[in-house]
Amino acid sequence: MSASTSTARPLGDLVYARSGDKGGDANIGLWIPAGRPDAAVDWLLSLVSVDWVRQMLPEAAGLDIDLVPLPNLRGINIVIHGILGAGVAEGVRFDPQAKAIGEWLRSRYVEIPGELLS
Amino acid sequence: MRVPDTKQPIRIGNCSGFYGDRISAMREMLEGGPLDVLTGDYLAELTMLILGKDTMREPETGYAKTFLRQAQDCLGLALEKGVRIVANAGGLNPGGLAEALEKLGTGASIAYVDGDDVRDRLTDFPGALTANAYLGGFGIARALEAGADVVVTGRVTDAAVVMGPAIWWHGWTAEDLDPLAGAVVAGHVIECGTQACGGNFAGLFDAVDAGLVADPQEPFGFPIAEIAADGSCVITKHPGTGGLVSVDTVTAQLFYEIQGADYLNPDVTTDLTTIRLRQLERDRVEISGVRGSAAPEKLKVAVNELGGWRNQVEFVITGLDLERKAELLQAQVEAALPADLRRSWAPWRAPAADSPTEEGAAVLLRLTVWSQDEQAVGRAFTGPAIELVLASYAGFHVTAPPGKPSAYGVYRPTYISRDLVEHTVHLPDGTTEVIR
Repeated sequence: MSASTSTARPLGDLVYARSGDKGGDANIGLWIPAGRPDAAVDWLLSLVSVDWVRQMLPEAAGLDIDLVPLPNLRGINIVIHGILGAGVAEGVRFDPQAKAIGEWLRSRYVEIPGELLS
Repeated sequence: MRVPDTKQPIRIGNCSGFYGDRISAMREMLEGGPLDVLTGDYLAELTMLILGKDTMREPETGYAKTFLRQAQDCLGLALEKGVRIVANAGGLNPGGLAEALEKLGTGASIAYVDGDDVRDRLTDFPGALTANAYLGGFGIARALEAGADVVVTGRVTDAAVVMGPAIWWHGWTAEDLDPLAGAVVAGHVIECGTQACGGNFAGLFDAVDAGLVADPQEPFGFPIAEIAADGSCVITKHPGTGGLVSVDTVTAQLFYEIQGADYLNPDVTTDLTTIRLRQLERDRVEISGVRGSAAPEKLKVAVNELGGWRNQVEFVITGLDLERKAELLQAQVEAALPADLRRSWAPWRAPAADSPTEEGAAVLLRLTVWSQDEQAVGRAFTGPAIELVLASYAGFHVTAPPGKPSAYGVYRPTYISRDLVEHTVHLPDGTTEVIR
């Protein structure tokens, strides 16, 4: 994959997501849909790091983040600890149950190798 | 009534993913095609708090009232079709729900599972509004074995309402770790209702564009798991219902509300890295290969405490000079609030310039405050904010009149020794048994 063939695109052009809450923690599952090449899974798993999550979602900057690769599901689980305070009822955050944090992440722009999108 | 034929998979449907889900789903699932057991999940972390507040006002409540309405409408139909019903709709008062179900006079055999309430056994959480240990599926299985047509429970795990029927049908024991793990995965996939069938699904429009969903406005079907004796299963939905069941809709639900690769349940620890998915045909996805290991030593407990009071105001800032307007507003409001009042200004970002709509030219500045003292977040908070109406930036307005403080809950998970929990099943003949 040469950088010259990459274009800045929303992550969601290549990646699906589902997010939700567990107490004060949010989780975001990111995966490559069926029908996309396996190379896209390798790309996703090498793209996602704790620093990358903090860059994409600045609200997570000061929080503990766990990454759990699940290559059998063609994706990775991101757990952001404490982003929802003491849980949904306390309501510290817009979207207190992290229902849409995955869709927000899908709308962020990343460099995606052109051949993965074709 | 259907009797277990372990050569055949058990066909388990779901008709509820939360307290407030589609009320007609129980009838739709009973009428839409054959099932052995119909299940429903009514309890989220937040639901326990809501039910806890209900019992503060009326101690005889504490269960999901919508389930009772559904049962009133559908229990006769379920009996006629030989479909058993299992739901955690009992919430904080499964015995009360069982009693209300008896009063419907349908002649159904009703069992309930409790023992999850551990408020009097936790030392670290004095005065907790609710504290419920997550129970597994063996109490439900025992009730079905004893002939219950309906089993209602308190806080069993979401997956347990599906595991229980599979344990009963296939005669699994606590040592059958791989089949139990398979049933946990099946349960996790169908416990959130239509989320397995195209609801809340990032790939919906791709599926529409690919011709896999004819009409996304057609109500999404609720999911079904056909669980075989080895714990493998097929996820599907009734024919003619909306949405779709694909590898991607199942993957989406597998990622929902998970943490590490080990998925903990009271009956088994499931290794999520072993799951294999395969599209068999349209709307049929096979899940196989799931491996389980010993269950965790302690049980998880969901604790809800009353946290205090909260309130908020949303200020609208429109047009030009957004940064300076926001800065002025924040300075004015901050000056009027006591320094020790806990508060949070939500982050915002300027919209695109030259908007053809007023709303598109505006941003919301949301200020939330919390306190142990109701007064401190009542008029003492909203008064100074509203006094700025004619005295701040150009175009000042708020999205709603000043609101009253609302009580908020604080959720904290903890863990408890199994010895302190009496997982109890109350059988239709009036006897009780403790599950060990």
